[in-house]
Formats: sequence, C-alpha cells, structure tokens
Amino acid sequence: MLTEIQLWAIFNGTIVTLEIAIVAIVFGAIFGVVVALGRLSKSKVANALSWFYIWFFRGTPLLLQLFIIYYAIPIIYLDATGITFEINPMICAFVAFSLNATAYLAEIIRAAIESIDGGQMEASKALGMSYRQAMTKIIIPQTYKRLVAPLGNELIMLLKDTSLVSTIALFDLLRTTKTMASATGSWIYYIYAAAIYLFLTTIIQVVFDKMEKKLGIYER
Amino acid sequence: MSMVKLVNVRKSFGDLEVLKGVNLEVQQGEVVCIIGASGSGKSTMLRCLNQLERISDGEIYIEDVLTDKRANDKDLMKIDPVTVQSLCTELGMVFQNFNLFPHLTVIDNVTIAPLIVKKTDKKIAETRALDLLSMVGLSEKKDEYPSRLSGGQQQRVAIARALAMDPKIMMFDEPTSALDPELVGEVLATMRQLAEKGMTMLIVTHEIGFAREVADRVIFMDGGVICEEGTPEEVLLNPKEERTKSFLNKIL
Repeated sequence: MLTEIQLWAIFNGTIVTLEIAIVAIVFGAIFGVVVALGRLSKSKVANALSWFYIWFFRGTPLLLQLFIIYYAIPIIYLDATGITFEINPMICAFVAFSLNATAYLAEIIRAAIESIDGGQMEASKALGMSYRQAMTKIIIPQTYKRLVAPLGNELIMLLKDTSLVSTIALFDLLRTTKTMASATGSWIYYIYAAAIYLFLTTIIQVVFDKMEKKLGIYER
Repeated sequence: MSMVKLVNVRKSFGDLEVLKGVNLEVQQGEVVCIIGASGSGKSTMLRCLNQLERISDGEIYIEDVLTDKRANDKDLMKIDPVTVQSLCTELGMVFQNFNLFPHLTVIDNVTIAPLIVKKTDKKIAETRALDLLSMVGLSEKKDEYPSRLSGGQQQRVAIARALAMDPKIMMFDEPTSALDPELVGEVLATMRQLAEKGMTMLIVTHEIGFAREVADRVIFMDGGVICEEGTPEEVLLNPKEERTKSFLNKIL
C-alpha cells in the first residue's frame, strides 16, 4: 500500500496535472475566441496574424513549444542581454499549454460560428445591430451548445498531454508515479496513475454531457 | 411623402447582373406588392434598401435622405454611417425563413433589438413587446422558444420583432413561401391588419389573391427590371405586357 508520503506526492502530481489543464482550457477558450474572430475578420492583417498563429501552434509539437519557452528563451535572453534568469517551469507550462490550446480552440470556435445560419446575422443587421452586437448577443451564444462537446474533448486531451511537463522538471501525476515504480520495482503505481486519469476524465465527460443538455434547452 | 426611392439601381454579383436599372418610389401609407419569377431581382431589391446588399450603381433614398450612391461598386460620396444605420432601422424586414433567434424566448426575440440598439428601458420594451405579441395573437406564447412554434406562429413573431423597432416601412421577402398551405392565412391576416393601420409596406409575394386585395400598387419584375406596374386591376387582371401575361398564366 501507499505510504503517507507517496500519497501526498501523488496528490500533488495530480494537482499539477489538473492546474495546467484547467489554466490552458480557460485561457485557450478566451484567446481562442479572439483568434477565431481574427480568422473571420474582413481585415487582412487580423486574418493573416490569426492564420499564422494557428499554423505555427498547430503545426509544431507541443513538446517543442514547451522546450522553446523553457530552454530556448532563457538562452536567447542571456545572449542578448548577458543576464541569466531563473524561469519558473510551472509558468512555462501554463504559457505553452495555453498558447497551444488557443490554436486548437480557435479553429473549433471558428467552425462553430460559421455553422450558424447566415440568416441570423442578416436578421440582426436588419434590426439595426452592429457586427459586434450581433456577434456577442446573437451568433456567439448560439455556438455554446455546439462548443461543449469539442471543448470537453480538448480538456481531456490536455489533461493527458500534461504528462509532457516531466521534461521541464515538473512532477505531474505520471512522472510522480513513474518515479515510484522505478524506485520500488513495482508496476502497481501505473495502475494508480491510470485509475486517477480515468477518474478525472470520467468527471469531465459527465459534467460536459450535462452542460450540453442544459445549453440545448431551446432546441426541440 | 416619399418613403423610399431607388434611382437607376443596378446590382451585380460578379458577372451576374441581378438588377439592371430599377426606378421605384414608394409613398407613405402605400402598400406595394412585387411579383415576378424567382431570379427576377425582387428580393435583391428589398435587400439593397436596408443595405443587406450594397448596390453596384445608382442611388437610394430613405425618407428623401440619400443613403447610398454608388457607381461600379464604389461609393460616390461619403455617407455618415450612423445616419445610414438609423435610417435603415426605419425599414423593418420579415424574411422567408423567419430567422428568429432560436436561443431566445419569443418575448426576448421581440425586445432584444430595442434593448441593445435603442437602449430602451427594459420595462417599456417588454410592455411594448406584449402589445405587439397580442396584436399578432401570440401573447400566450411569450415564454416559449421559437422551435416550439409552428411556421405561421414563428413568422408572426418575426413580424412583431420587426415592429418593435417602430419602423416606418415594413418589407416582406416572400413571407409565406416557407409555410405549409394551412398556415399561410394567419400570416396574411396579420399583414392585412398592418396595411389597414396605414403602414407603408413593400411585399415580395406569390400570393396573387392577397396582392389583389391589399395592394395599392402591383409591380411585376422580370430580368432585373420593373416590367409593368399599376393598380392590382391593371397589372393582375388586364396586364399589357406579354411577359406579365405569361407569368400570370403560369402561376394562376
């Protein structure tokens, strides 16, 4: 059985995993709306910037993005200024995961907005609403229900991908249990890890299913 | 008083010219029905009035104020966008597919534009909305979502929603074409009621009987131009143009 120290270590690892996933989904959703609106914008600059953002962060491995932020940026900074600085790995993980989630969520949000019937924007305009008013009051609220399922999907992916942070000196759930397995030579710790991941993803699945039902209340 | 006026209006979508020089003036209180085959430019003409489409050439006036003047898809004069927007809200529009906001209840559909565009007080907007809903006979449905209503009921809510902005002109773009036959009557009855109250109306329709009964003037459009216009008796009963005759023969 687990000692109290091991129990606490696993608990802390789980917290690290959860924190990164939750921070990433929240910031990813907020900035994802901005990038999605950029992609839909008539402004060529906004369009190109958003396109480039998505192209880069979807087109390179998350692990590489993590390395750039954690390893490359301090070296670039050192070369440029001659000053070394200590970079907090947790902050790096928050930033890398949020930037990456933003790219994926932007595409999900863009697709959801485009799936709303064009007549909705026309009716809004005919009633005198500005583009902004039509978007915030009419179009985007109709995407919520359509966003729940892909958002839950993304959160589950993020939760599992957090295991990548073991490469930047963080002890997430997987690394904590792997260390214990190596130290004791017992495979049972992997079972504990699997059980906790499954427990968390089950909660996400149930909560998001409920949310989807609730948000779809206006549909017959 | 002239409510809307189109002068030599042309509209092209790429290589396709949909309006080929339309001139039309509608007076206050007039009910104008526009008939014609699909593709003749009827809907496009309405949509150009409130700038859902921008015209390619010509001029548009709303209440004698110039709101759009263009040539070759370019603005010929800078027109204050705030003025344009406020004049465009004088034109209420009812769509073929209703386009109600599905995530809002019936009453919220009716109040949302006054609340966010005109910044009307919530109490006042709701009282007005209830009046309008009772006028279209749907006050008991005020807390339902649109998906729970029949097509005819949805279209009546859409009429109430447009009226909530106190438009001076109501435009109807084939308002009964998406309805089951047994639901057409209730929508036409609501429109008739509006006409009797003296509302200026521009109606694109295939309901010839309704046009005969309600219209002050009937316009027959064909190939992007107004082919024939006159009183319902003139255009619908004794058409002069061959194209009008053959169209009426096909649909009657």
